[in-house]
Amino acid sequence: MADLRELAADVVEDVDALFLFSPSGSYYEECTNLDTDVVVIAPENTVSADTFVELPLEFGDVRNRIKFGIEGALDRGLVEGGDTLACAVNLFSSDIDTISRVRADDSMRSGVYDLFVNSRADPNVIRDVLEVAVELGKKGQKGEPVGALFVVGDAGKVMNKSRPLSYNPFEKSHVHVGDPIVNVMLKEFSRLDGAFVISDSGKIVSAYRYLEPSAEGVDIPKGLGARHMAGGAITRDTNAISIILSESDGLVRAFKAGELILELDPEDY
Amino acid sequence: MVDWQVLLVGEFRYVLALVVLVVGFVVGYLVGRLNKRLLVAAHVPEAVEGTTFERTVRSLGTTTVSLFARLSSWFIYGLTIVVALHVAQLLPAEVFLVRVTNFVPDLFVAAIVLAVGFVVADKAELATSERLKSVKVPEIGIVPRIVKYSVVYVSALVAAGQIGVDVGALLVMLGAFLIAVIIFAGLALRDLLAASAAGVYLLLNQPYSIGDQVEIGEHHGVVQEMDVFVTLIESDNQEYIVPNHLVFRKGAVRVREY
Repeated sequence: MADLRELAADVVEDVDALFLFSPSGSYYEECTNLDTDVVVIAPENTVSADTFVELPLEFGDVRNRIKFGIEGALDRGLVEGGDTLACAVNLFSSDIDTISRVRADDSMRSGVYDLFVNSRADPNVIRDVLEVAVELGKKGQKGEPVGALFVVGDAGKVMNKSRPLSYNPFEKSHVHVGDPIVNVMLKEFSRLDGAFVISDSGKIVSAYRYLEPSAEGVDIPKGLGARHMAGGAITRDTNAISIILSESDGLVRAFKAGELILELDPEDY
Repeated sequence: MVDWQVLLVGEFRYVLALVVLVVGFVVGYLVGRLNKRLLVAAHVPEAVEGTTFERTVRSLGTTTVSLFARLSSWFIYGLTIVVALHVAQLLPAEVFLVRVTNFVPDLFVAAIVLAVGFVVADKAELATSERLKSVKVPEIGIVPRIVKYSVVYVSALVAAGQIGVDVGALLVMLGAFLIAVIIFAGLALRDLLAASAAGVYLLLNQPYSIGDQVEIGEHHGVVQEMDVFVTLIESDNQEYIVPNHLVFRKGAVRVREY
């Protein structure tokens, strides 16, 4: 019977880089003494690593987390396509407890990194909206599941491709997503029909919007309803992205350029 | 009639001095306690919380409130000792005594002014840095510092004036500093001030809002974003960043296409 260490050695053999997901300071120190490149992926660069990819969300799904990290590293040229990577992540505890061997190739490009970093809207704004949607998905409105549709970025164009369903409660207001009051407010307004329109800098421009994009050539998974269709289609017509909380299955989905990029289960957070 | 003068002669004056001392110390102690209570009732502990002054004082094993209370006690103790010495006629020169009794209250006020100045300065620094937290410029950290030291400087000036130091030169310096700040702000921030003044109106009244087709000067497009300083309008491929004072100077045209 081979030594357990040998099994582990197979996993990390000949890797081109080591990806550390939210490492502790001492763990990072130890890893910098190795002769492999180290890339840190975390919500904040607490260990002051040189090569760092910011994680906008603590993805509950480890697969998403790793994909995001690799996509970010590929995008920024920290690693090259085809490199073999060892990813050290925390799966069950808050410390790193899992190492997985991954090949960085195009199948890793899910577009989530692109969604955050290369969209018109500020990454922080997208993160805030996702958090609001997740929160809303978790708690619902008075215990009942609710749906919501947020269109983020390129607000001028979105406003021109939509019409009001009723008076805009956010008219002449200066509410930004990320303001503490917003969670409560959006929870109340989520019973309204229509979309929320949010500008590049995070200002909530309008609620109650009926989106009128041309739905031509939009390819969204069958079985999703009118809300997803409208939300997906508007991202084809404009440079906005949309973040949609489904009323029926409770998942949060993000669309960019008419394509489904990200699917999250609010219960995982 | 009791002849009070008899108390001031012979051995009696020592007794009287002792009485004065005891009464003085008791009064001083009580005033200190009272002051402490008043300061606590006025929510001073909450107000000074987190200031550097409070932290420094705490590292010396006391608090701002008890420091102030003790200061008043010490003042009364000092006065008591002087009066007692006077009663006991142990002090040689009358002139010296007069000068001291005139000087002590000034010193006391100066100390209070200085201490209050430090607390206010710390508080002002905290408040400004809190305000500027959302401004993501690393160098912004210098603004709260400037505010703090300006307040300290002014309080030091007042304190020095109180104890009779000639503050003429320092006042001139303060004036020069203020004028420099005003001229600097006026020159460097002229456009920003003009833009923000216009921006406040635009944000409050919103003559146009995000999504409207507008024409400002020669720029035509859809409003994408408005903030205090600029309005972003976007046409097909170009995004114009228009300072808000230009919106006022040139006027904005809202284009309706219905």
